[in-house]
Amino acid sequence: MTSATLTKPPAAPAKRQGRIPTPRSLRSRRVLAWIAEHIVLVALGILFAAPIVFVFLTSLMSSEQTLTASIWPQPFQWDNYVKVFTTVPLLQWFGNSALYAILATVFMLVSSVPAAYALAKIKFRGSGALFTVIIIAMLLPPQVTAIPIYVMWSQLNLTGTLWPLILPNLLGDAFSIFLLRQFFLTIPSEYADAARIDGNGEFGVLWRVVLPMAKPGIAATAIFMFFNSWNDYYGPLLYTSENPAAWPVAYGLASFRGVHGTDWGLTMAMTMLVTIPVVLIFFFAQRVFVEGITLTGVKG
Amino acid sequence: MKHRQRHIIATVAVAAAAALTLAGCSGGGSSASFEANTPKELSGTVSFWHFFSDREAKVIQSVVDDFEKKNPKIKVEVHSGQDDEKLQKAIATGSKVDVGLSYSTDIVGNFCSNGAFRSLNKVIERDGVDMSQFSDTVKSYTEFKGTRCAMPMLADVYGLYYNKDLLSAAGFTAPPKTLSELETMADKLTTFNPDGSIKTLGFNPTMGWYENAAAHYGPAAGADWLKSDGTSAISSSTGWTELMEWQKAYVDKIGWDKLNTFTSGLGQEFSADNAFQTGQVAMNMDGEYRTAFIADQAKKLNYGTAPFPTADDHTELYGGGYMTGNIIGISKGSKNPELAWALLKYLTTDTDAVVKLANGLKNVPTTKDALNSPKLEVSDQYKTFLDVASSPNVATTPASPLGAGYQQSFQDFWNKYQSQGGDLQAGLKNVDKQINDALALTTGP
Amino acid sequence: MTSTAIREGRAARVRPSRARTKRKLVTLALLTPALLGLVIFFVYPLIASVYYSFTRFDLVSSPQWIGLRNYQYLFTQDPNVWQATLNTLWFVVIWVPVKVAFALLIAGLLARAKRASGFWRTLFYLPALVPPVASVVAFVFLFNPGTGPVNQVLKFFGIQGPLWFNDPAWSKPSLVLLGVWVMGDIMIIFLAALLDVSKEQYEAASLDGANGLQKVRYVTMPSIAPVLLFSVVTGVIAAIQYFTEAAVASGVASGKAVIGEGISNNLGYPDGSLLTYTQWLYVRGFGTYQLGYASALAVLLFVVAAVILILLLRRFKAFTPEGAQ
Repeated sequence: MTSATLTKPPAAPAKRQGRIPTPRSLRSRRVLAWIAEHIVLVALGILFAAPIVFVFLTSLMSSEQTLTASIWPQPFQWDNYVKVFTTVPLLQWFGNSALYAILATVFMLVSSVPAAYALAKIKFRGSGALFTVIIIAMLLPPQVTAIPIYVMWSQLNLTGTLWPLILPNLLGDAFSIFLLRQFFLTIPSEYADAARIDGNGEFGVLWRVVLPMAKPGIAATAIFMFFNSWNDYYGPLLYTSENPAAWPVAYGLASFRGVHGTDWGLTMAMTMLVTIPVVLIFFFAQRVFVEGITLTGVKG
Repeated sequence: MKHRQRHIIATVAVAAAAALTLAGCSGGGSSASFEANTPKELSGTVSFWHFFSDREAKVIQSVVDDFEKKNPKIKVEVHSGQDDEKLQKAIATGSKVDVGLSYSTDIVGNFCSNGAFRSLNKVIERDGVDMSQFSDTVKSYTEFKGTRCAMPMLADVYGLYYNKDLLSAAGFTAPPKTLSELETMADKLTTFNPDGSIKTLGFNPTMGWYENAAAHYGPAAGADWLKSDGTSAISSSTGWTELMEWQKAYVDKIGWDKLNTFTSGLGQEFSADNAFQTGQVAMNMDGEYRTAFIADQAKKLNYGTAPFPTADDHTELYGGGYMTGNIIGISKGSKNPELAWALLKYLTTDTDAVVKLANGLKNVPTTKDALNSPKLEVSDQYKTFLDVASSPNVATTPASPLGAGYQQSFQDFWNKYQSQGGDLQAGLKNVDKQINDALALTTGP
Repeated sequence: MTSTAIREGRAARVRPSRARTKRKLVTLALLTPALLGLVIFFVYPLIASVYYSFTRFDLVSSPQWIGLRNYQYLFTQDPNVWQATLNTLWFVVIWVPVKVAFALLIAGLLARAKRASGFWRTLFYLPALVPPVASVVAFVFLFNPGTGPVNQVLKFFGIQGPLWFNDPAWSKPSLVLLGVWVMGDIMIIFLAALLDVSKEQYEAASLDGANGLQKVRYVTMPSIAPVLLFSVVTGVIAAIQYFTEAAVASGVASGKAVIGEGISNNLGYPDGSLLTYTQWLYVRGFGTYQLGYASALAVLLFVVAAVILILLLRRFKAFTPEGAQ
């Protein structure tokens, strides 16, 4: 997904149907349109960037100053960022988030890629029905099934940990299966068929032929899973609230502001710190990310 | 076609069977029970869950350390920061909790009925614990329908805090004794910004803010919550109507929008920016623990305390107030009930322990010995609350299987009423209905 | 694919059982984890939820059968369930379309921008990367009616800002503003789809005499229809489940400390305006431990969600297995 392919459709003749207007009025109309669009873009851009700027400025204020109406920190309290690490076990929270996100993603790939492949590339009886069931499972609000699942985990004595959130991915994730299947469908069947004829079993076809071609889609699905796990609040609320040692960053941030009577400066500093890893990953994985989102979204 | 259908039916059947078997089981692992005779030797590990954090958690820890010194063979595993939701979750899902300390009495009705906290009647008798050392009020909120499943561990008493400097600057020498006096004095103490918004407030009547809760105001007019059969008495107890009408008129006088804007900008209750501690609010309803916070966070504040003002036609109630407490019990799934009981007894009846806790947390001690102990640090401001606790007009919220649900229903209504108004009596009757319906769902046929 | 296929087909027919059985086993192996997952985490809980909804269950003791009592309470006596339902529907009907429309608007602008489009794209996408809890906490702080920058700036222009998250009439719109701020993930997909529409189609339309608006209607819209559907469907799902942002906003705006008060005490602040259905379910289940009643709420949620989604999907058959190819 590069920016080189951005094209502008030719301007339309508004009033005179079927007649192409003179170049001059066309040009001036184009210029006006360009100016108008860019004014809107700049205005919106400022509005969109403003919250982040304000959060950053607030993160450098002292607690007393955050309660006043002033916008510019006086003085600049850079040590808020250091204080965050000593006030709460932020590194432990990051560790928990990383554990949760990484394991969930790996487990999801192991279980969902084969299933998605089977649904996309193998004709078997009941594949349509199974796919429908998966769509329903994907669309279902998690709160509907939360209670019996919670009871089940409590009987296994795993509440108070992140495992109830990580382990189920070993048995597939409906949304990921859906995305992967859609992506596998875009790979022409000829490659798979050729591989089969060459004598490969299904596993061989999957491993040697299809997977290498599916890398962008798999990467995109993995990134989705990673971010959903990283940002998950409801799951940790349900399963880890009573055990601060297991808190991931998303839950820690929400409870941080309560326990310490909201030092807003610290809270905003923590907000910045929590966002930075995500932004960094995005910048490094940008191409894959955007490509994957658009490919699965557009074809979906 | 048939093949697929058979598969589907088989899967569903297996799942259904599994579902019903699993669903029929309850949470909680195996547990042990109390012994017939008081055990002589006690050793092992016992887990203690409580809700305190930061400075207050340190106080708890020091008393726990004392217990461990007295019982060298017992190790206590402390989990702090556990509110009622987390505590109940932990109790219900296994044997993680031996001793649980809750910040309010709300769960007593619930935990005593369903056994989440064990009944202590037998071991109290077995070990000869003298229950007369507790006042009737604290005894009443730690048992439900004859089952005593918790012991009182320090109490919270509510009264009026007032900023002496601000009051004398406005020409007042004594705190208000009735709600009308409170309002008049507060009007004089309120200051405004050039643009008309509120700068400092004499008294903040906003319901739901800080400690402004219906339960805390009830004793000011002798208002009742529940009838003796456990159903709601909200609309039949005239005290509530009095209080709500007074509060609404006061809110309207200040102006709801102005008041709400001002309130939204105030600091968090337990931080150093607490509005009373910063002087933004001159008089405030709060509990005795506030004295500890002020000593820690606002040492220069020149303040006084007094019993909370009563409604104008209930001056005979003056000197009382709302009392609640921390309660402590032994969980259903505990594997070490005897160790738990030893810790519990220490925390609630050992005079030195109770005094140390009271001094550190600035909560009101619940045993008579502790109240009279010379080691108890009593400042002038703190003494008010001790007096309120022993006043005949002190009141509490009754235990109910609904927990705090009935208070929440009423509070929701009051919060809406203060900004939206409406038909008060119809609203109160509706609250009655909600509470009674919820009660029927929880305990009825 | 001619002679080799015929040869393979003949071979398959000659030894049908071995090849087919092997294929079946392999397919089963590929599908087993997912199948197990569906049964354990979807089919079983659904059935169990239905069972629990007919009981009184507080997790401490065994479930006690009470028949339709929970449903009777739900439909006739629960004081909050209707407000919770209406609030949730508000998000479905207003939050989703506003987000999607805005994302489309921005994507449209970006599609036409030539220079520095990568910069704009990143700028508008970045807020979507902020963890939801962080963005809610930040927004509540920024929109604080008394001291927040937003009202300060408005004051500078002479406008008296509303009470935002502290005003029941403005709390949901404030969350819509938050939703618009993080619409980047939808915008990116729209942008890709818009850029995908071939130049030739536009030129052909011009030659046919179409004006700007007609081109949008007859060329652009049909091309991006699948993406539009995808966004609307995922948006509706998110709206039905809306929990985190509303719960955290209520907690932060009400100014109550978390210690000693769980989610239940700030519920829906202000005045229940942010009480969503899933929050009510959570409180009934894990606040007051009426798990039987919470299960009844869950069953109702499932039914309503299923109906809404079936209606949505039926309208756009592209999502069924046959249509998606």
